[in-house]
Amino acid sequence: MKGEFGGHYIGPVVTTEQTPLECHEVTKVFGDNLAAARTLLAGGCDRQKVLDQTGCLVAVRDATFSVERGETFVVMGLSGSGKSTLIRCLSRLIEPTSGTVKIDGTPIGDLDDQELRELRRQRLSMVFQHFGLFPHRRVIDNVAFGLEIQGAAKADRYERALEVLSVVGLGDWADHFPQQLSGGMQQRVGLARALCVEPEILFFDEPFSALDPLIRRDMQEELLSLQARMRRTLVFITHDFHEALKLGDRIAIMKDGEFVQVGTPEQIVSAPADDYVREFAEDAPKTKVITVGSVMQPLDGEAPPGEPVGLDAVLEDVLPRLLANSEALGVVDDQGNVVGAVDRARVADLLGESSRASAARAGRGAERR
Amino acid sequence: MTAEAPATEPSRIAGAVETRLALDRRRRTRSGSELVVGLALVVAAQLALSAVGGFPESWAVPLADWIDEARRWVINNQTTHWSFSLVFNPISDSIDWGLRTVERFLLWLPWYVVAAAGAMVATSALGMRAGLLAAAGVLYFGAIGLWEESLQTVALMTVAVGISVAIGVPVGIASARYDRFQRNVRPLLDAMQTLPAFVYLIPVVLLFGVARVPAIIATVIYALPPVIRLTDLGIRTVSPATVEAAEMFGATPRQTLRKVQFPLALPSVLTGINQTIMMALSIVVIAALIGAGGLGQVVLESLRRLFVGRALEAGLAIVVLAMLMDRVTHGAAGLGTRRRRLRLMPDSLERLGFVRAIEGALGSVDRALCALGAVLARPMRHAPGLAPLARRPRWVLGLLALVVTTVVSAVLGRPEFPSAFTFSFASAMDWLVDWVRDNLYEIGGTRFGTGWFSDSITIYAVTPLRELFSTDLAWPVVVLAVALAGWRLGGVPLAMFCTACVAGLGFLGMWTLSMDTLAQVIVAVVMAIICGIPLGVLAARSDRFERMIKPVLDFLQTIPSFVLLVPVIIMFNVGRIPGIIASVLYALPAATRLTNLGIRQVEGEATEASRAFGATRGQTLRKVQLPLAAPSIIAGINQTVMLVLAMVVIAGLVGGGGLGLETVKGLRRTDSVGSGFVAGLAIVLLAMLLDRLLQAWTRRFTPVEGGP
Ligand SMILES: Nc1ncnc2c1ncn2[C@@H]1O[C@H](COP(=O)(O)OP(=O)(O)OP(=O)(O)O)[C@@H](O)[C@H]1O
Ligand SMILES: [Mg+2]
Repeated sequence: MKGEFGGHYIGPVVTTEQTPLECHEVTKVFGDNLAAARTLLAGGCDRQKVLDQTGCLVAVRDATFSVERGETFVVMGLSGSGKSTLIRCLSRLIEPTSGTVKIDGTPIGDLDDQELRELRRQRLSMVFQHFGLFPHRRVIDNVAFGLEIQGAAKADRYERALEVLSVVGLGDWADHFPQQLSGGMQQRVGLARALCVEPEILFFDEPFSALDPLIRRDMQEELLSLQARMRRTLVFITHDFHEALKLGDRIAIMKDGEFVQVGTPEQIVSAPADDYVREFAEDAPKTKVITVGSVMQPLDGEAPPGEPVGLDAVLEDVLPRLLANSEALGVVDDQGNVVGAVDRARVADLLGESSRASAARAGRGAERR
Repeated sequence: MTAEAPATEPSRIAGAVETRLALDRRRRTRSGSELVVGLALVVAAQLALSAVGGFPESWAVPLADWIDEARRWVINNQTTHWSFSLVFNPISDSIDWGLRTVERFLLWLPWYVVAAAGAMVATSALGMRAGLLAAAGVLYFGAIGLWEESLQTVALMTVAVGISVAIGVPVGIASARYDRFQRNVRPLLDAMQTLPAFVYLIPVVLLFGVARVPAIIATVIYALPPVIRLTDLGIRTVSPATVEAAEMFGATPRQTLRKVQFPLALPSVLTGINQTIMMALSIVVIAALIGAGGLGQVVLESLRRLFVGRALEAGLAIVVLAMLMDRVTHGAAGLGTRRRRLRLMPDSLERLGFVRAIEGALGSVDRALCALGAVLARPMRHAPGLAPLARRPRWVLGLLALVVTTVVSAVLGRPEFPSAFTFSFASAMDWLVDWVRDNLYEIGGTRFGTGWFSDSITIYAVTPLRELFSTDLAWPVVVLAVALAGWRLGGVPLAMFCTACVAGLGFLGMWTLSMDTLAQVIVAVVMAIICGIPLGVLAARSDRFERMIKPVLDFLQTIPSFVLLVPVIIMFNVGRIPGIIASVLYALPAATRLTNLGIRQVEGEATEASRAFGATRGQTLRKVQLPLAAPSIIAGINQTVMLVLAMVVIAGLVGGGGLGLETVKGLRRTDSVGSGFVAGLAIVLLAMLLDRLLQAWTRRFTPVEGGP
């Protein structure tokens, strides 16, 4: 099942040190009465009010972020919070109502049709939430579509397509039609199609949602190894917080079209901005995310005895030692200077606090009922 | 990638690519070589048989004579034989009685009551604006001096549609209930819908003679399929879960039908009735050929004497009738966009204060009338048959008003349609016809114009094609070519069917006429496709364009085929070309609609995915949208061909020649009923041939469930 996403490279290699993807105050409003909606938004009206007064739906509002080369940027949020709309704005599949998207420093809003097409052919690719496969083409022709559009020779594109297909474990299904495949298999065809062109920037809209847990884990591993080797720029939408933690370098949480919090997994877990984010982070394996650095006490006086631990070790790694003896552990930074200490009580506090909070929430829920 | 990946992987992939490419090549050369071989066969056969020419006339079966004989027998035995005294005559008499009653009643009603009734019905289905238009439409009948003829047509329609519904709904229910029944009825319905309206008139004339009753019978036969089909469909598509729930509560099958299935199927049934009405209207007009009278008669007579203006007036009345019936039944089926009842002005004027004031006032009047109606309706609430009416105070009031007015008018003496209101634009139209002839035939003295246009089609398309089919090609070659097409599309059975049909045309003695009609059909179909499909593509790509052409397409589809000929004749005079142009206009909406629909139905993400890979609009269209829309587009072509055939046949009335003309002759003159019948039969063969070929073609493009 394991394989390699990379192969020989088709298309130009771009080695610019520009930030690959920047997104500044991107807003998308659906509806006819855009002018009125714009004025209301500028005046700071909330989404419901805009909807009531103009009939326009604000799907994404003032999304600002940038993604570095080699980074995986995860977007999460409830259904209808505007994730798919946002990711479509990034390649202008949907024209943003306002705001700018820059790819390698070029605002894509300024590109004409031809330039935009070139950009999409050479640099971008996307996995669609509902797969977006072409039902009239065999699996292999689906996967090879991007290369076909780029004008690659048939033999070349079939070769590459077969390679990618075997990576996603569908090597034997090349000549079938999409309807003959199960949902999860179709999703992998969509994945293979996006990877086939070896793009620099990948947009993944819930790419693993239909996969069974085993294949899903395989695919996640594949993606991680791809990232380690090729350092692509990824925007990744998911509903699965564990997946977000595993893959994401940074996570953005969306609500009603707006980012409520953007941060590293640890920041999201240890310092959720509000209840909405907290609920997402609730059942996260905190000990796997939170680092020693964020729970330690600054050092006052003597460094604790015993082998110190690193600043960015996660709690899981130090828990056995903390549980084994009641002594505090010293914490050292990269240079080896002791900067703080962490003890059993600190960790218990942190873990206990969040479970108390969730118990309290459950209690409130029960009262309401 | 892990280290233990087999080293042979790249070579394995290379091998797979090789085989795949080879397969592709072979597939392509195979379909190419099949075409070449087929063509070579046809050419070789033609070279070998170049002396043979058209189908030998001496081989024709004297079917016409036998038919004439049968006709004579019918005339002689009409009063004595049991099948007439016990079966045909009673049917005929009761229909005749019904028709007379309806007609007398309608004509007895004062004109303003009819107009008001039309307005009421339209208002309740579509809103007040439609109501006013309906009243205007009804008044138009009187205004052009065709009051009586219009109501005759309405009466004819009422009876024909009434019978169709009375037969169709129960049959539809039965066919939804019993799969075996459905399997038996289906092919019959398919066949009934394939044949041009025209063909039904002939056997009916044989059995019932020339008059209005046979016209009604032909209409019923022709218009029946949609009600049956859509009743069946409506009931069958009610979700099984709903039916299960009803059964769970212990409902009998009859209760389930009455309380759950039929109510849920009602929109579908009403759609069926709507289609039936439109089909009935189109044939009621043609049925004037066998003495149905009414508006059709006026159009026909006027055309025959080339009073194009008068024909247009009467034709417009038919269009008005068609639009009224179409919109009202459409609205009643809940299909159209329902407007607020009391809107009179376009919505864009809603901002203006006085518009709102007027509509507000209308609203209060309406509320007051409603209250009055409710008071009047109160006693009805407990009367057994009237209870549903009691819930509709507006109707109660309206009906009471109509009845009172009618009675008062009857007492005072029935008023004629006031002659002061009449007008005629016939002479203006005739002037226009002359003007067109003088000025558009060769615009500004150049050689271009409608004359040049129709001459070019005649000289470069219709005539050569006709000559080719009927005389230049040896008849066995034509049979061979069609059989090969059949074999390619549907294997041996279809090839045999095609052979039988084409040879049948010859044995009927209709070879030359059939080839004439076929040539016209081909030219018209090609023209309709060349115009229709690009229009559909444009409409699919631009919402603005779609909105722009939609009313035009609606209009073209509402006009009964026969009436469509009139304006075309104004432009192109009589002959083969107006028939072809009218066919193109008649069939174009189907091609455009289904192309548009097919492309628009392509799943959004598939198109998006193609764009995301940087495909141009043209590439997206070619590689994704058109292939996915192919089944729909081909269904459109399929319909186009059948519509064209129907129209080309009807165009026989205005000099289109071919089988249509022969059939018309048979309908007009009793001594040629036989040859008319045979020509009708040839039309049936041609229709079945085209339909089967097209069906087979369509099936090849419909993705089979679960794979290629
Ligand atoms: N083409 C469109 N026209 C109008 N409204 C739209 C359109 N596409 C999306 N919306 C609306 O925008 C909002 C955000 O939709 P979006 O598809 O971005 O949600 P999502 O976060 O991807 O949800 P999910 O997790 O269910 O995929 C929704 O309320 C949706 O109704
Ligand atoms: Mg989504």
